[in-house]
Amino acid sequence: MNQPPDDDSAQPTPLGDSAFVALLTECQLPLRLYISALLPGDPAAGDVIQQANAKIWEKRGDFEAGTNFKAWTMAVARFEVLNHRKRQARDSRLRFSDELEETIATELAEVNDDLAERQAALRECMQSLKPASRDLLMRRYASQQSLAEFADQLGRSVGGIKVTLHRLRTSLGDCIQRRLAATGDRQ
Amino acid sequence: MTPNEQATLLDALLDGDISEADFLRLEAELIVDPEVRKTYYRRLEMDLLLAELASEGQRPSPDHSAAATDQRSGRLRRWAGVVVAIAAALVFIVAMLHSAADREIAERDNENPPAQIRSENEPSATGFAVLSGQTDAVWEGDPIDNGGLLPQGELHLVSGLVHVELFSGVQMVIRGDAVFSIDSPMQVSMQRGSARAHVPEPAQGFRLKTGAGEVIDLGTEFAVEVDEMRSSVKVVDGEVELRPSDSGTRRLRVGEGVELAANGTVTRESADDISLVGPAAFQDALARRQSSHFRQWQLATEMLRNDPRLMAHYLVDPDQGWSRQLVNRASSAGRVNGTVIAGDGAVVAATRTQDRWGRDGGALDFSRMGSRVRVVVPGEHRGLTLMCWVKINSLDRWYNSLFLTDGHEEREPHWQIMNDGRMFFSVKPPNMDDWTQAERERQVFYSPPFWDPSMSGQWTMLATVYDVDQQLVTHSVNGEPISRQSIPEKLLVEQIKIGSASICNWSEPMYRSDATFVVRNLNGSVDEFALFSGALSATEILNLYHVGNPNER
Repeated sequence: MNQPPDDDSAQPTPLGDSAFVALLTECQLPLRLYISALLPGDPAAGDVIQQANAKIWEKRGDFEAGTNFKAWTMAVARFEVLNHRKRQARDSRLRFSDELEETIATELAEVNDDLAERQAALRECMQSLKPASRDLLMRRYASQQSLAEFADQLGRSVGGIKVTLHRLRTSLGDCIQRRLAATGDRQ
Repeated sequence: MTPNEQATLLDALLDGDISEADFLRLEAELIVDPEVRKTYYRRLEMDLLLAELASEGQRPSPDHSAAATDQRSGRLRRWAGVVVAIAAALVFIVAMLHSAADREIAERDNENPPAQIRSENEPSATGFAVLSGQTDAVWEGDPIDNGGLLPQGELHLVSGLVHVELFSGVQMVIRGDAVFSIDSPMQVSMQRGSARAHVPEPAQGFRLKTGAGEVIDLGTEFAVEVDEMRSSVKVVDGEVELRPSDSGTRRLRVGEGVELAANGTVTRESADDISLVGPAAFQDALARRQSSHFRQWQLATEMLRNDPRLMAHYLVDPDQGWSRQLVNRASSAGRVNGTVIAGDGAVVAATRTQDRWGRDGGALDFSRMGSRVRVVVPGEHRGLTLMCWVKINSLDRWYNSLFLTDGHEEREPHWQIMNDGRMFFSVKPPNMDDWTQAERERQVFYSPPFWDPSMSGQWTMLATVYDVDQQLVTHSVNGEPISRQSIPEKLLVEQIKIGSASICNWSEPMYRSDATFVVRNLNGSVDEFALFSGALSATEILNLYHVGNPNER
């Protein structure tokens, strides 16, 4: 009888339900980062993230335990981004070239993310801002409005808001870098 | 471009109001300069993290400081929950999306076109929750199977009880008559019906909206009852925040409840107990019912042994995880008409996995390439019935094998599933050499498509009957016939033979000169397989389903 070689070393182990959910949960921020990077400024990115999660769940049986989960979820997510584009075919939204997308996809899948550390640093850095600035940032990021609508609501000019937000982000970014560097020194 | 200019353009890009010229400039920089890309990723991260923080601030979290110290908790774990057993499988999507070099698994079949990559009409599923159990549930529209995703939009549970698990980890028992929608993993809207929600710590802030107001969970369990006239809320454990549409926010603690009129005014400062079991008790009850059903099934399979038509009946014994032998449970004792039975099966490469009753090691997972069970079925048979309980992960090959004889010689049957979800059954008629192509193709009896990816991971009973006397091929899914086709006189094979065969794979595709072979193993699991000589009736098939269905209600 001709049988394919029986290679016991490659035996896959089924991944349990809770293990899968734990992996998927851990992956949420990287996944969102990835999809937002491929759909910059697209308000529908949130829907695509949702869609990607549903798809990942649906395809959970295809995931091979022991292989790179993040890379796998991103491959599924990439497909959802493409599907989204197809649905939006008539939308004249600007999009990156395939070449750049490929680079971003590769880099983000490989990047060793320290998002949790950054999040902790950001929390502390937020405390160093003036309450009014903190409030403005939180309101901006909690709102689904366009920048113009947001500025309108605050009774400020779009240009003015842009500059303020830009400064705040820059100083937060610098603060995060300093904190991470300080933590790094201590270790 | 100065760093500042760069940052300004990135802001514009992410705000969605960048001009085309600036976009192209920025893109050019991103392509050539890894540092600019890094800046881009950092900027995106900041957006994400700020959005996280902002949404936390919106939640009425009672222990915000605790959440702040535990950096990995909170929303990072929102997607916890959801229970369904999973078998490992091959990474088809990854193979599909990555370079051609990775596509080693793709099918190479000389006699058939290559497997299509169906990106054009890629099926998709949406939803934020899985249906994990139901009793006497009647849905408006199509029934929803256990383990299936609950679709978005308004759902109407006409009667019965269901257990829903949201991707956030929230568990809900909902009783019909109920009209509700799952808006997100953190929000459910309910127009009418009773519900009891258990909210784990990572999902605190979960909201249940009714016409009269919102209930925001601060942990852990509450119940609501909603109809056109009023809504009542009762806290079973922990604490909730109530936001009536008419008045201010208030907190309700364990045992407390409130009744609201439809317009949101408080009509009573208390609420009667809402008689609805919690998710944990509901699952216990399901498990108890299932275990009694399991015993009935075991009894029924014992009785089946002596059916004189039964040639092979393979069940996977969870207590014999080490064994590569699959005992044929058909008994040769008391055979009057001399029907011979098959030998024991030999398990090759397939691994043990959970069966449909939830027992570890009670099923075989065939997703690993080369996996199969080898069997030998002697004799000649006037008609044939094949039945199996299968859990399909995906149909990612052109042909997905259920039961194939080693070659495809005259009078031999082939049973498989096409990649578009159709069941395939054929018995090769003799003397086909001088037939036209059109005539040859008629020997295959296809069912309509019965499988789509939304059924991934669900246990399904498949059966096919080749009835010589009635000249009929019937395909059934979960006991119900999905197609009946008559066998043309010219194609009718009165004496079927099998000989050496494989369950869930094919042995033929080895090419003589090299080790390349067609991939035809099923990406899925099987926990029961039966072969009968002759035709079982539709009623008999339906009975096999009822007695073997773990979700029987």
